Amino acid sequence: MASYLAKRLLRSILTLFIILTVVFILVRQMPIEGYFPNYEKMTEEQIRNGIHQMGLDQPIFVQLGNFFKNLILHGDLGTSRIYRNNVAVTEILAPKIPVSIKLGSLSLLLSLLIGLPMGTLMAKYKGHFFDHLGTGFIVLINAVPAAVYYLFIQLYGTELLNVSLLFNANNPKSWILPVFSMSLGNIAYYAMWLRRYMVDESRKDYIMLARIKGVDENSIMFRHIFRNSFVPMVQYIPTSFLNTVIGSIYIESLYSIPGMGGLLVDVIKRQDNTMVQGIVLLYACVGVIGLILGDLLMVLMDPRISFTKKGGDR
Amino acid sequence: MMKRTLAFLLCLCMALTCVSALAEDTTYTALYASEVSTLNYLIASKQWEQTVGANIVDTLVEYDNTGKIIPGLAESWENSDDGLVWTFHLRQGQKWYDYTGAEVAEVTANDFVSALKYILTPEYESAIEYAVEGAYILNADKYYAGEITDFAEVGVKALDDYTVEYTLSAPLPYFLSSLTYGSFLPAYGPLLEELGADFGTSNDKLYYSGAYIMTEYVPQGRHYYVKNANNWDADNIFIEAIERIYNSSASTSAPAMALRGDVDSASLDVSIVDDWKANHGDIVTRSRVTPDYSYFYAFNFNPQYDEAWNPGDWLIAVNNANFRHSIMSAFDRTYAMRAMEPEDPESITQRTITPATFSYVDGTDFSTLPAFDGIEENFFNADAALAYKAAAIEELTEAGVTFPIQMLVSYRSDMADWENESILLKQQIEGVLGTDYVVCVLNPRPTENFLPSTRTGGQYSFMRCNWGADYADPQTFTDPFAIKRDSETGEHIGNTYNKMDLMLESDFAETKEFLTAYYAAVDAAKAEVVDMTVRYNKFAEAEAMLINNAMVIPYYISPADYQVTKLNIFEGEYAPFGISILRFKYQHLSDEFITAKEYEANFAEWQAQAAN
Amino acid sequence: MPLIKHPKIESLEQHVSESLKQQLSDEQLFSFADFDEAEVERTGLSNYSYWGSTLRAFAHNRLAMLLLLVMLLIVIFTFIQPYLPGQFDAFLVSNNEMGLPLRNQPPDSVHWLGTNSIGQDLWAQLWSGTRTSLFIGICVAFIEAFVGILMGVMWGYLRKLDFIFTEIYNVLDNIPTTIVLILVSFILRPGVGTIIFAMSITGWIGMARFVRNQVLIIRDRDYNVASRCLGTSTWRIIMKNLLPYLVSVIMLRMALSIPGAIGSEVFITYIGLGLPATIPSLGNLINRGRELMMSPSLRYQLIYPTIILSIVTVSFYIVGNAFSDAADPKNHL
Repeated sequence: MASYLAKRLLRSILTLFIILTVVFILVRQMPIEGYFPNYEKMTEEQIRNGIHQMGLDQPIFVQLGNFFKNLILHGDLGTSRIYRNNVAVTEILAPKIPVSIKLGSLSLLLSLLIGLPMGTLMAKYKGHFFDHLGTGFIVLINAVPAAVYYLFIQLYGTELLNVSLLFNANNPKSWILPVFSMSLGNIAYYAMWLRRYMVDESRKDYIMLARIKGVDENSIMFRHIFRNSFVPMVQYIPTSFLNTVIGSIYIESLYSIPGMGGLLVDVIKRQDNTMVQGIVLLYACVGVIGLILGDLLMVLMDPRISFTKKGGDR
Repeated sequence: MMKRTLAFLLCLCMALTCVSALAEDTTYTALYASEVSTLNYLIASKQWEQTVGANIVDTLVEYDNTGKIIPGLAESWENSDDGLVWTFHLRQGQKWYDYTGAEVAEVTANDFVSALKYILTPEYESAIEYAVEGAYILNADKYYAGEITDFAEVGVKALDDYTVEYTLSAPLPYFLSSLTYGSFLPAYGPLLEELGADFGTSNDKLYYSGAYIMTEYVPQGRHYYVKNANNWDADNIFIEAIERIYNSSASTSAPAMALRGDVDSASLDVSIVDDWKANHGDIVTRSRVTPDYSYFYAFNFNPQYDEAWNPGDWLIAVNNANFRHSIMSAFDRTYAMRAMEPEDPESITQRTITPATFSYVDGTDFSTLPAFDGIEENFFNADAALAYKAAAIEELTEAGVTFPIQMLVSYRSDMADWENESILLKQQIEGVLGTDYVVCVLNPRPTENFLPSTRTGGQYSFMRCNWGADYADPQTFTDPFAIKRDSETGEHIGNTYNKMDLMLESDFAETKEFLTAYYAAVDAAKAEVVDMTVRYNKFAEAEAMLINNAMVIPYYISPADYQVTKLNIFEGEYAPFGISILRFKYQHLSDEFITAKEYEANFAEWQAQAAN
Repeated sequence: MPLIKHPKIESLEQHVSESLKQQLSDEQLFSFADFDEAEVERTGLSNYSYWGSTLRAFAHNRLAMLLLLVMLLIVIFTFIQPYLPGQFDAFLVSNNEMGLPLRNQPPDSVHWLGTNSIGQDLWAQLWSGTRTSLFIGICVAFIEAFVGILMGVMWGYLRKLDFIFTEIYNVLDNIPTTIVLILVSFILRPGVGTIIFAMSITGWIGMARFVRNQVLIIRDRDYNVASRCLGTSTWRIIMKNLLPYLVSVIMLRMALSIPGAIGSEVFITYIGLGLPATIPSLGNLINRGRELMMSPSLRYQLIYPTIILSIVTVSFYIVGNAFSDAADPKNHL
């Protein structure tokens, strides 16, 4: 197990390195205008000086080397130029990360709390009213673009709860709608797959045997069917957490939540290259960690799986 | 003893709550969608960034609400006889405060010197340095370029703690107005020394002496300002606190929040104005039009776009005066403008590139000087357009151009109003001239680096351009078309607008001849610095040449926003240029939204004031 | 996964066991067998038709049939709509009697769904937009399927490539797709091509991995070993023995990636990197409608595109699932 994890980590670091290199080279293909807030009114000499000061006239691999050196030795991701002039990227990210994590965890918790029972009930009453109701909900959530139903929830929800349209961290009531909106997609996702796995599982021979033996129906449902169906889903929980954080772009911009959600889009549009690198690194890290955690969770849940059996494919 | 302290503390608490409760009453709350990248007002050039500087620091002089220059931090000033030396006498007893409101030091003449030195230090990359050079401050350009290293040689001095002296390299009739721009704001010298490039990266990294103190700064969150009660003009600061809340979809949420009473002002997008007029018409008002940005349509003389759109043919066509006139005459500007200003496009339409009411000489508006008489004949006239078309077809066929000519109309893809305007323009011009003659190709361009890539990069044939005044003199509106050369080789590289100066070295004799005359006229006008009447008339003549030759089509000034607001906007400072208009000072906050009736009354009152 | 016995395989097995029963000498037993294509086909004859069974199974699902009909009608209608009488050009700005743009006209008998904020007919825009969005979705689905299957089969079948492919996959799979989508659409010029490219560039990875895993499972099944022993070419094994088995899931994935692509288009437009209004799409119609959300009387400009988008999504989703069930040979018995 330890050696597997070590190998896995090593590979993840390599992955991160490759991703960063690619992104680093990509952002340097963009026009240099983006480095200067007032490019229009600058003389060529000023531009040349600016480029030189930023070290952009060096060969790209020297720049890349410097970037990694600073990152590893000082934990320095560089300094933002356009997004927040002359402020370290780490300093910009620091207050935003906890906000998004808080929001993401709450929403994940809520979606598990609602999604799992819903899926279980749907599987249990397959073909009956509750199943149809749940399917209707899932179809609706998947069909209507989030961009649209989020808006409706914001507009009518705030009226109903009598809160401001915008988020206010100090008012617990104003957390309700953003968290709820963010959960809807995940609720549908968990309910749909859990139902599917449970229905598949319940057709298996061992379940039939258990029934014939006269095992109590609830015990079959929860000790066998639910547990075995939940295993394949566990793997994706960490990743879906990440997706929730990245995907919160709609929510965060609608409710003015000062988190990470729209940050990447923001800095890409304003062409703040150092910020782009920093955020991509962060996301990639969280993504990689998410995958590892997912695998670990799966082992914890299912004693039949072990790392030592077979490497290679994840 | 204990009890007493407790009682005292309680009283203090109550007093504080009372104060804050009072303050609460005149807190102005609004949303904003563009976050500043820095609070450093010595480097920021975007208008929403300069709003910060304008409200936390005072300029030497400022404008009143009718557009007249009045004393600011300077109580009085004088100008030497040769017009080169300006001396300003500061108000005494003005203090710098930190973000908690604690007093730090006195505002002295040295702070103006330190701030200018900071701006002229290239490593700080100030985006408003150009305005210092534009104000002809002696040796500013040389110091910035590194040709001289002793800052004492630059034309700014603190004669004593309360006297600032600026020395210019040439007399500048509009120097006072230049001082209302961000590049002449003071900053506390020792703090600049200490922080360097970190100055203004957050609200605890700069000091305040203006009308407001920014007590809270959460990027992409909230800006909170409280009134600086010790400011020399505190009696004119009526709004106790300003709360600005970030929301990237403010255009949608602000109107809804205004209806619920959560914000005190919201601008209304053109697309929802109809609905608002129908349902809440009594509170829909407009913002004040400021003549500082001029919009005009330009023909591109250096098409760099894809061969598929025939840039070669365009170059021949655009050098043909009849062709340009055919487009200009066919272009019903007020129709296209309805995408921006659906109700009253005539009110913002301009007949000149320099906007009306931008500058006056002897009481005459520049845009009505005699040189512009009869300029209307160039504008929309379908019959004239067809006559020009016939002439152009004849001449261009001879030159080997294939019809229809493709006219690439470029715009920024994220600006819905501009896109709509282009759609209207295409339909309207093609409707008059016919698609057998000219086809408008709509060309949405990426948002990022839009201007460098699209306008400077020659990715258009016909496009709306704009120019904001850099100072209050008509010369500023010749700047976009000025000849631009490479700094080392001296070759023509073309202005960043229509690149027409490139034609000076081309085979298009007609254009060449015109341009030679035009640039000579501009130079003659610039040379006149003593007699303002002569100077203005000469600039008017030069500008009229551009319009009469259909090189540039004047369009409009930024339309007034539709809005709901509790502010009486006519009380605010009014200026054709500079950061004065961004101040909240002088404005009162009503309890209710200004009704359309009140707005009309305020407007009438303001016009009466301005007339005096 | 249970072994499904295809009639072909059964007869092959029978054939082999029969020849084993005859006590043959070593020479007879191990003489070289010539490959005879006709012979292979002969043993495979049976009255079972894969597509016939699939269609029969599909036709049993009434809801799916209904939605398939709706789907087809929508697709056909996007093409014939401009030629119907009383239609407006999607770009034409209608003027009112004063010659000014007819802005925000509520639905009436002339403009069936009203006009937008500069006076273009919303009904025409809607169908033009549906056409664009469907085109994007279908292109993305096909590119994903083509590239995904090609890579997946190579990855699974060619052992030498497995290590390299796996490593590449591990890297690519770690990059959040949203980031790639945003970066690519940012760097390239906005347009239909860009959007298709940006979505396809990561979409095939999932497909490839899925195909590879299936190939690994199926590759060493007895019937394929046998097929190889009989000298069947790799290509033929892939085409005849592998892919048909995967059809059901490939179809499901394709059916789902169409609404997925349409949804991504909405997202890309939302963040300002999508199609300009000169190319109407469901994405930019919805996005423009969003701006009007807070004005009840203009909300129709958001509702109609959303309805169409929802219908398209639901149809593809349910039809895809139903077809995938029907195409699964397990359900044919």
